[in-house]
Amino acid sequence: MDASIFAIQPSAAEPIYRQIVEQLRRLIASGQLSPGELLPSVREVAGFHAVNPMTVSRAYGMAESEGLLERLRGKGMAVAPQARATSSPAQRLALLEPQLAEVARQAGELELAPELVLRRLRRLMGEP
Amino acid sequence: MNAVLQNAVEPFDAPLQVRGLSHRYEGQSVLSQIDLTLQPGSVLGLIGRNGAGKSTLIRAMLGLLQPAEGDCQVFGEPSLGLSDRTKTRLAYVPQQPEALAWLTAQQMLDYVGRFYPQWQATFARDMLRKWDIAPNKLLGKLSPGERQRVDLIRALASQPELLVLDEPAAALDPVARRDLLREIALRAGEAGATVLFSTHIVSDLERAASDIAFLHDGKVLLHCGVDETKERFARLWLPASMSAAAPTQTLGSRRHADGSLSLVIERDAQGRWPQAAGLPGARVDALGLEDLFVEIAG
Repeated sequence: MDASIFAIQPSAAEPIYRQIVEQLRRLIASGQLSPGELLPSVREVAGFHAVNPMTVSRAYGMAESEGLLERLRGKGMAVAPQARATSSPAQRLALLEPQLAEVARQAGELELAPELVLRRLRRLMGEP
Repeated sequence: MNAVLQNAVEPFDAPLQVRGLSHRYEGQSVLSQIDLTLQPGSVLGLIGRNGAGKSTLIRAMLGLLQPAEGDCQVFGEPSLGLSDRTKTRLAYVPQQPEALAWLTAQQMLDYVGRFYPQWQATFARDMLRKWDIAPNKLLGKLSPGERQRVDLIRALASQPELLVLDEPAAALDPVARRDLLREIALRAGEAGATVLFSTHIVSDLERAASDIAFLHDGKVLLHCGVDETKERFARLWLPASMSAAAPTQTLGSRRHADGSLSLVIERDAQGRWPQAAGLPGARVDALGLEDLFVEIAG
C-alpha cells in the first residue's frame, strides 16, 4: 500500500486529517484494506501529498483510537485485526449518514415525496 | 522530572515572538498593536491581501527594520541585536533577494555553505538542477524568479531551525511550489524546524501550514490551527426577512442586494453555532480557508 491510496483535497472545507480518517473507514469497511495490512508511513503520506506530517499523525492517531488501526512496534501502522469484523451493516450505513441527511434535506426543499426519492434510489442501486 | 527542572532554569524561548508591534510609513499606520508567537515546530502561514503589511511584519520580526513601537524577539534575543550564533539558526528569503549579485549561483552556494556546520551541499546541487538554474550564470543575470529560487535553495540547504519566507510561491511554477511545500512540511515535522511563510495563495497554506494568521488592516484578525479554523468557523446565510436576527458580534458580514445577509459565525465553547443558525430559511455553509479569507477581508 502506498501513499496514493489517499485522495487529499487541501482546499475542501473538511480538514485534511478528517479526510484521511474518513477514507480509512471506507477502505477498511469495503475490504480494500484488510486486517494486518501495513499503511504507508506518516513520512510517505506527508511527502507524497506535500502536507504537514503532524496532520497525518493526527489522522492515524484518531483512527487508532477508533480501533481501525493498530501500531505495530518497529513496523508502523497496520489495519487492526478486528477492524473489519466490527463493521456491521449498521456501521457501514453510518458512513453514508451525512450524504443521506443532505439528500433528505434537499428532497424536503424540493417538496419531493419520500416514496419518489426512494424509488429512484432503489433504481440507482440496481434494483428494478 | 528532568524536563521540569530544565524549564525552571531555562525559560522557553519561542523561535519568533512580537508584542505590541506597531509601525507607520509617512504617518500612515501599517501595523497596529500586533502580538504573535510561533511555537517550535509549527508552520505558520501568514495570509493577507497585497499591501496588508506582511513584508513589514516579517522584516520587523527579524530586526531588519526598527518598528515605531513594540518588542520583537528571535529565540529570546531582541531582534535588533541578534548574536551571530542566533543568526546561523535562522534563514530568511526576501521577496527580491539582491545580495552577492557578482557571484554565480554555484559560487554563492559554495561560499555561503562554509558558514553553516550542517550545510547540505548535495541537496543544493540537486535542487539547482531540479529547479532549472544554470549553476554558472551570474546571480545578477538571473530573472527575479530564478534569483528567488536560488535563495530558497540557499535557505533550505543551511538546515535552519527557523525558516522565514516572504511570498515564496510567487517565483515558482506549480511543480516547484509543490517541491517547496514538501520540504517545508517535512522539515518542520521531522527536524522540528519552525517555519513562517507569507502568501496570498491560500491553497499553499492549507497543505503545509499547521497554523494560520490573517493579517488585515494592520491587525492579526485570526491566529489558530488550520484544522481548528475549518471546524470553528462557517458562513451563515440569512434571508432578508430573518436578517434582523443576525448575531452582532462577527468577524465579517455582508449584506446582499436582495437584503439577505452572509456572516461569519463561530462555534461557542460547547461547539454550538449561534442560535440564528437554527432559524427557518437560514443556511450554514462549511468554509474552506479561501472562502473564509474572502468573507473576512473582502
